[in-house]
Amino acid sequence: MNDLAITALSAAPLHVLEIWSDPPGVAKRFAATFGAELPMLGSSLQLPSMQLVRYEPAVWLIEGEIGGLEPVIGLDGSLTPIGGGLVRVRLSGAGWRSLLMEGGVFDAESKDFATGCSAATVIDHVNIRLLVESDQACLAYVPLSYAHDMIHFWTVAAESLI
Amino acid sequence: MSGPRRSGEPGTIRFTFDGKPLLARPGDTLAAALLANGIGLVARSFKYHRPRGIMAAGVEEPNALVTVGTAGRGEPNTRATDLFVYDGMVARSQNRWPSLSFDVGSILGLAAKALPAGFYYKTFFGSAKRWLLYEWFIRRAAGLGDAPTAADPDRFAQRAGFCDVLVVGAGPAGLAAALAAVEAGDRVILVEQDSLLAPSLVRDPQELDPAWAEATAERIRALGGRILLRTTAIGYWDDNLITLSQRLAEPGERPPAGTAQRLWHVRAKRVVLATGALERPLAFAHNDRPGVMLSQAVRTYVRRFGVIPGQRAVVATNNDDAYLTAAALRDAGTEVVAVLDTRPAPAGANSGFPVHNDAAPLATKGARHHLREVSARVAGKVVRWQVDLLAISGGMTPVVHLHMQAGGATLSWDEASQAFLPSTARQNVTSIGAAAGADPVGPTLAAEDPAKSFIDFQNDVTLGDVDLAWAEGYRSVEHLKRYTTLGMATDQGKTSNMAALGRLAEKQGVAIPEAGLTTFRPPYTPVTMGLLAGRTERDAGAHQRRLALYQVHQAKGPIWQPLGYWKRPRAYPKSGENLSQAALREARAVRTAVGMTDVSTLAKFEVSGPDAAALLELICATTVAKLKVGRGRYTFMLREDGLVFDDGTVWRLGVDRYLLTSSTGGADRMAAHISYVRQFLRPQFKVSAVNVQEHYAGIAIAGPKATKVLAALIDDDPPRHMSTVAATIARVPVLVLAASYSGERAFEVYVEATKAEAVWNACEAEVTSLGGCPYGMEAMEFLRIEKGHLVVGGEIDGRLTPHDLALDKMLNKAGAYVGAQGLARPALTQPGRKQLVGLDALSGTIPEGAMLVQAPGQPAEGHVTAAGLRVLDGGSIALGQLDGGFARHGEELLATSPTRRQSARVRVVAPHFYDTLGERYRE
Repeated sequence: MNDLAITALSAAPLHVLEIWSDPPGVAKRFAATFGAELPMLGSSLQLPSMQLVRYEPAVWLIEGEIGGLEPVIGLDGSLTPIGGGLVRVRLSGAGWRSLLMEGGVFDAESKDFATGCSAATVIDHVNIRLLVESDQACLAYVPLSYAHDMIHFWTVAAESLI
Repeated sequence: MSGPRRSGEPGTIRFTFDGKPLLARPGDTLAAALLANGIGLVARSFKYHRPRGIMAAGVEEPNALVTVGTAGRGEPNTRATDLFVYDGMVARSQNRWPSLSFDVGSILGLAAKALPAGFYYKTFFGSAKRWLLYEWFIRRAAGLGDAPTAADPDRFAQRAGFCDVLVVGAGPAGLAAALAAVEAGDRVILVEQDSLLAPSLVRDPQELDPAWAEATAERIRALGGRILLRTTAIGYWDDNLITLSQRLAEPGERPPAGTAQRLWHVRAKRVVLATGALERPLAFAHNDRPGVMLSQAVRTYVRRFGVIPGQRAVVATNNDDAYLTAAALRDAGTEVVAVLDTRPAPAGANSGFPVHNDAAPLATKGARHHLREVSARVAGKVVRWQVDLLAISGGMTPVVHLHMQAGGATLSWDEASQAFLPSTARQNVTSIGAAAGADPVGPTLAAEDPAKSFIDFQNDVTLGDVDLAWAEGYRSVEHLKRYTTLGMATDQGKTSNMAALGRLAEKQGVAIPEAGLTTFRPPYTPVTMGLLAGRTERDAGAHQRRLALYQVHQAKGPIWQPLGYWKRPRAYPKSGENLSQAALREARAVRTAVGMTDVSTLAKFEVSGPDAAALLELICATTVAKLKVGRGRYTFMLREDGLVFDDGTVWRLGVDRYLLTSSTGGADRMAAHISYVRQFLRPQFKVSAVNVQEHYAGIAIAGPKATKVLAALIDDDPPRHMSTVAATIARVPVLVLAASYSGERAFEVYVEATKAEAVWNACEAEVTSLGGCPYGMEAMEFLRIEKGHLVVGGEIDGRLTPHDLALDKMLNKAGAYVGAQGLARPALTQPGRKQLVGLDALSGTIPEGAMLVQAPGQPAEGHVTAAGLRVLDGGSIALGQLDGGFARHGEELLATSPTRRQSARVRVVAPHFYDTLGERYRE
């Protein structure tokens, strides 16, 4: 599977959005402001200025500009920057699903893990968050300290994929 | 001409066995290739060094163990029957000296009567030291192959797999099951340990055209099924988790893509076991001689590999299947001189072979390590044949290992086939094909010379050994196993256990199922350690965590120090300096001027929301809510049992926004603790606690000139001690916390990790301009010990209370923190508890980790947790834990480390050796 490419992307603004109260109210305000529903668990939403990826019941990872979000959240949650601690690694090529099974515990080969889906999982003992970009690409959010070794791990693993 | 041979072309694949160049055909196992080259003697037995040949054609082979490969790729104890020859293969026989054909160790066979089962239990008495002597001889006299000493150069991968149906075994039954499942729309994985689909069809093409297998496989693949060859299901665990061992290269072979094997963890909704059955040998005198082979194995070598194991053959059986072997041999040109059938007439009457009923082998004789003669009792008379091959069949044993490993499963006894069959199962598993049932067999006639009738060929266990164990009082099958070693080693009794059970049941006077069974444990076949552990720590998932400033440090050529998964600079030696010299220079720079160090690895949590202070007052044992915005304080955390498990600082960044730092080593534990408190103890809180350990890189600047450094770098005034300010350095936003771990005026500068390099460089320029330098962990350790600051894993080891660490005055008097109730336990206030002390050397250097005793040989009253020195004045100092330590200041003790063979007289003092009033913090 030599069509695989493993690419570390440049740093991007990343925030954690946690909602601790009145989720329906926040969802309503969000829909009114952005014209779309807050994504469900395991899915994502692409807006012109940002992408929201829901990894936990009350936690979203937001990539991009967060302008307009603070009034939506109000006193029901908070935004915390975490972009310095994550490296975005794009796994592209037809074999990316197979690659994610290496050292993994998550069923990346499931047809239900489709474009727009997300997952928080462990790969080779490292916490990784995944976002399916297309049939040909998946974005992995890798902790900064592990990024060098994970990229090495994927590069080596890609050479003997089945 | 006698012995094994191959007709036709010898093949083109070159390999060596014991240094002899040989040729093989593509698809040959090593066993087939050796037989094809006329080699019948392949190994020496474990205990008596008896000459052994090839008995089987699959993973059950007990005899033909070889070492294959060289250097780090060398793999001992590999079954020649489960190893496909590749060009350049180097194979060697084992457990022999000086050669396989002339093995001095075979003298042990002459002393077999003196070396029965359990002989070493009876022979080697005395002290443990004497056992070490015995062991030296035993290990050289008996044994298997040698483990390689060189590192394995190859990679071992691990992979997850998910499916609706996992089918184990790609024989006819397995292929049919997989096809049915995939046609029903299921996700299917089909695994086969052989390199060939349905190898039994090649052996017995009369059952089904072998081409059917490939056509079926094509259909399975076309419908999305996955087929893995050379893949063995080695373990069956809870929740239908099955582990697979997949060979990507043969043992000893250089893997084409660098990865030698892959360990699969497969979660299956349903498991179908089509694992087939293994043929049982027969017991008679000298049944272990090369040339005595299992009947189906003989047929396999003839039909699959084109190898004829012998020219004149006797076939001995208690079932119909062996007649197929007789036919295969006849078709290949071998003269079948007799078929010995234990069943009475008319079994085999119309087979066309010279069949003898009520007949079984008595013994064999050999010449030059190969079979020459078979004797049998036929209708009460002894008859002999001069032959070079004896094919034996004692019936079939279904492979039920995985079924039993699944847990909660049972077996049922089938009297007709004299075999255990899969019965109930707790997990969603079914057995099909030969794994679910076997053909009926006739009686097994009693061996007339039990002491020479082998049942466990790999461990040289005879029927006589079982009888001896019984005579010596071993009644349980588990005891029998351990006393005789029956069923142990690489084959795990695949060909021996039923014979042993039969003998034990006979002795007990019960039916076989009542004699009991040993446990079926994973792995089903041996696996290399590399498969489980990986070649290196990287392959085992133990990655090396890199600092955001890794490249900056690396450019300075530091000595790196592992700290958990992290690597941190230990010191930055200048030309000619060793570690101690460099660390002392760096520490003195901090004491006299200024130094800077990377503290990025500290755990950091951003806690925000209206309930942030309340959450932190649960997590921290100190007060938090009273902190003013822009202020911080030292804090520590308790487990629920009241013992201190971590410490750090807490900072109020805004009205409802805090930053909590804690130790590097305890970072993951602290994250779990915060999550526990947040999610379980106070789920109703309006608070967010985000782990920002990696988001921020941290740079500590410490020393009497630290304020000057900061003043030059930021627009604002440097914050006073335990205060914080937001600023910019090198145009990068930073958060400056005034906190000290060194005992000097100090600041921690936190910056988004991706922008840390510019900030470090700006800081370093100022630091060096003022005569300072970067310092590493060794200098940091000197500084903190001298100041009496605690470290998690040293002084804070999870056993001491806040009182033991002299932290009790800082406890939150409201007492609502986690651990408050545990801390009230009477046992935690008993006198004589270990307490934190300082230790001042009166002579010599205090050894790291030393015990604190009154005098040599006296019991330990405490220990040294960290040893260092007075940075400016010299002199050895340490921190330690001492029984009732607070009341023992001024006492003299001996700090002794027997393992280091170092001792020093010490005086117990307060754990602060520098600036006891804390004035330098505030300068």
